[in-house]
Amino acid sequence: MKYLNKSITEIHELLKSKKLKPIDLVEEAFANIENNKEYNAYITLNKEEAIKQAKELESKEVDNLLFGLPIAVKDNIVTKGLLTTCGSHMLDNFVPIYDATVVEKLKEKNMIIIGKTNMDEFGMGSSSRTSYFGAPKNPWDKTKIAGGSSGGSATTISCRDVLFALGSDTGGSIRQPASYTGIVGMKPTYGRVSRYGLVAFASSLDQIGPLTKNVYENAVLLNAIVGKDEKDLTSARKKEEDFTRLIGEDIKGMKIAVPNYLMSDIVSPEIISKIKDTIKVLEKNGAKVDYVDVKYLDKAMTLYQIIAMGEASSNLARFDGIRYGHSKENPKDIQELYFETRAEGFGEEVKRRIMVGSYLLSGENAKIYYNKALSIRDDMKKEFINVFKNYDLIIGPTTTTTAYNLDDPMDDPLKSFMDDVLVIPVNMAGLPGLNLPVGFDKNHMPIGMHIIGNAFEEAKIYQLASFIEKELNLDLEPFGGENNE
Amino acid sequence: MSNYIPTIGVEVHVELKTKTKIFSNSTNGYGQMANSLTNVIDLGYPGTLPTLNEEVINLGIKAATILNCKIRKVMHFDRKNYFYPDNPKNYQITQARTPIGYDGYVEINVNGESKKIYIEEMHIEEDTCKSAHRGTKTLLDFNRAGVPLIEIVTKPCISSGEEVKLYLEKLRELLSYGEISDCKIEEGSMRADVNVSIRKNETDPFGTKAEIKNIGSISNAKLGVEKEIERQTKLYDNGETFKPQTRRFDDKIGDTVLMRIKETGNDYRYFPEPDIPFVVLTDEMINNVVETLPMLPDERRKKYQELGISELNANKLVANRPLSDYMNTLLTEKTNHKIASNLLLGDISAYLNRTEKDIKETTLTKERFLELISLLEKETLTSKNLKDILDTVMESDTSIKDIIKEKGIENITDDTEIRNVIKEIISNNPDSVNDYHNGHDRAIKYLMGQVMKETKGKANPKLAMDILTEELN
Amino acid sequence: MKDELSREEVLHVAELARISLTEEEIKKYQVELKKLLNEVEKINDVEGYDDEILIANWDSNAELRKDIAGDMLNPKEVLENAPRHAGNYIEVPVVISDGEGA
Repeated sequence: MKYLNKSITEIHELLKSKKLKPIDLVEEAFANIENNKEYNAYITLNKEEAIKQAKELESKEVDNLLFGLPIAVKDNIVTKGLLTTCGSHMLDNFVPIYDATVVEKLKEKNMIIIGKTNMDEFGMGSSSRTSYFGAPKNPWDKTKIAGGSSGGSATTISCRDVLFALGSDTGGSIRQPASYTGIVGMKPTYGRVSRYGLVAFASSLDQIGPLTKNVYENAVLLNAIVGKDEKDLTSARKKEEDFTRLIGEDIKGMKIAVPNYLMSDIVSPEIISKIKDTIKVLEKNGAKVDYVDVKYLDKAMTLYQIIAMGEASSNLARFDGIRYGHSKENPKDIQELYFETRAEGFGEEVKRRIMVGSYLLSGENAKIYYNKALSIRDDMKKEFINVFKNYDLIIGPTTTTTAYNLDDPMDDPLKSFMDDVLVIPVNMAGLPGLNLPVGFDKNHMPIGMHIIGNAFEEAKIYQLASFIEKELNLDLEPFGGENNE
Repeated sequence: MSNYIPTIGVEVHVELKTKTKIFSNSTNGYGQMANSLTNVIDLGYPGTLPTLNEEVINLGIKAATILNCKIRKVMHFDRKNYFYPDNPKNYQITQARTPIGYDGYVEINVNGESKKIYIEEMHIEEDTCKSAHRGTKTLLDFNRAGVPLIEIVTKPCISSGEEVKLYLEKLRELLSYGEISDCKIEEGSMRADVNVSIRKNETDPFGTKAEIKNIGSISNAKLGVEKEIERQTKLYDNGETFKPQTRRFDDKIGDTVLMRIKETGNDYRYFPEPDIPFVVLTDEMINNVVETLPMLPDERRKKYQELGISELNANKLVANRPLSDYMNTLLTEKTNHKIASNLLLGDISAYLNRTEKDIKETTLTKERFLELISLLEKETLTSKNLKDILDTVMESDTSIKDIIKEKGIENITDDTEIRNVIKEIISNNPDSVNDYHNGHDRAIKYLMGQVMKETKGKANPKLAMDILTEELN
Repeated sequence: MKDELSREEVLHVAELARISLTEEEIKKYQVELKKLLNEVEKINDVEGYDDEILIANWDSNAELRKDIAGDMLNPKEVLENAPRHAGNYIEVPVVISDGEGA
């Protein structure tokens, strides 16, 4: 019997009536992962602990929708006692001694962490190919990338190994792989989810978010992980809310903006036409869609590079081989310990970015680059907020192309930024954004739509996303479930 | 040796007296087992984030107020990036752009004249961990990592080692009084770095700077500065120059020694700390904190002297915080403050030292103390007799009158009683009275002796003498 | 303008980032880093900036923590992930100069 491709409500009922036990789900998940091993979605499996926890749950009351459900966690979210590598040689021996706030929240719901997913090293990359553990493969075509940096989380959801995964998104790292693999991925508003325990890449941009096969389950998982955290000063003071509450409502009268830049010739025609098809569906159902100009969108990538690389150079300074992680053997002095530990521990993309980041903050440069980027970012945020004075939501494509080949060259240092050019503005403005699969290209590779909301209006995004999901009613299982038992 | 004009600036770090660290809730403590006062935040573990201790901000406001600084109402923190094993994240969270206090001053007294030492700025930051060098290894103890610090930076307006000493003493007194820091140099809770340069004329550009670090005491700071001025003078006199450098004071040889030549421009790559939003202070917050400040040393000295206490005693009181606080409870009382200060600094201090007690632990309530002062003032109690009863006064609840009665040492200060005794003695000793009138000084002493004998020594001697002289004439 | 950084420029940023580079890597980064730097130079095309500091978040000010002590690690836990330790201490090769910071 297969359960993990059923809806969460079905599984919940079965668990409640004791027709199904958490251990059944855990065993099925590990069997799926084993079957789909070649997709390389995981760095570490939490087999022993997951089984133990599942058995313990048998005596507990099934008290919430997520009870007993397996979840995959991106490997840059720290898990006490469970290897957390960030996809890097630097941390390939690192066993954290505390749990991230989101992990505590999953445990409160009695969710079962099944393993840690593959990713670009420290989140730096757009294809998960910078992972020290090899790239995950796209379930729709294993010669293609799964995207990144949350490539492993996207892959395992797309494979239907498990229902839920957590990712992190600094400049598109949830939404872009979700688009490439045909799943739903949400980057919540900056501050919505605590960053405590998320290994920092770019502190002012990083945000944890859910990846799922459908919109409803995505909203349910978001419900579980949000909230003000006293351990994270940048987490927002917001009242509890149910992100599923607008799901099922129609979209009549909804006002939607489409920025011209997002539909310009930087995007492949196939994707543009799919987005336009979807827009027609929206208009047919009473939504009002306008094309608008949004200032600074074309500058977002530059701002992103400055802010992300600058912050990363400082955030990653702590990896020095002294307190944890990889360390140069028998260093002759402290300088050798620093220089060789970091030369050995970091991969090329990371080195590139922290060197450039160091330069950007060096001497007077911080003023010229970083501080200026912060200031323009604020202008960009205001520009978005202006759009939201007249519109409920903003839509566009998530990516400029569909997933490309795993063996495409990696020698262009700008390529990984270009892959995220459409989703980066949302990180810059701190807004919530979601990828929704809306179709396929001629090679049957998924195409995603990006739905952007005003700050803290995730519920509205889910409303539109679930409406489109229902209207399009796409078959989104990459191998029709064939690969799983 | 020629005369040069020294230009000196001082940077002082003080550890704040909080219960917990600045960016984490682990304990701020000293002298504990290595690595027993830390958590994942202090260790700079991946994924950790800072929180901000309210008390650090409060103490920052207090320190700024005490140092006559302007207080910044909107501030942020910055990251100072540098690799060093005692710096867990390899960046230190500090305030580079928006120090909490700026444009302040401290007044010192140089040879009887008041001089203002100007404070450029004072900012909040985190302390590093402690490292100990053992042969080819350095050992790290993270207990100190994240202890809150205030760094106070003067303008280069100090001109001698003596002024450095007076400034540091003043700072220590002020910050201890404000309960901002213990200011224990030997425990490292107060650390001073001094920048020294010299030049020939006021109009010349500043000379090359040497920074003196690792100063273990205030007297060494003074000595270090004087030695450094001497060293630089000799170099210039010999036509030599030197590179900007860091020196440390070596206790054993009583002089500064070179640590390293400063490399040009440390590149700290400062940028605003993205993990901590702006800290916004309201007038109300500031006022609430400032209200809790105790009366400061200078004001105490002034008040004491206005109440007739000598400058010497005023200084002694201020140097003893518990006694000064005790004295402050009497400021508005109608009493003899001079006697009060003499008592506190004399017999009472001796008692407290001997018994190792705090004045608050004794039974000397304000009311009892006022009574004691009044008895001494009226000379019902002599200071000699006070010594006999002091222990009882400090340790029992018995009223002071009863204690005196019990001991039978009450002075007779009743005018009529003494006069009656004297009248009787005069009539019984006509010879002595005659001698007195004939100019024999010894006669009056004899008569006084008789008075004391008759009163068993309880007559107030001054009063008795006055009455005797009056009756004889 | 030459489209690569000088050897010295690459070594300087590698020094800031504390990463040792092989000769081969230096050559590679001379080109790659320059490409990235050309890209970030585009910020000069954007006008309007007055050196004001902005820290991005939606609440305006930081919430302060009460000064109350919480749980701490024991020394054993502190050493758990440390590659080198002695007694209760984390160990590093000897450090000669004094601290640069505080």
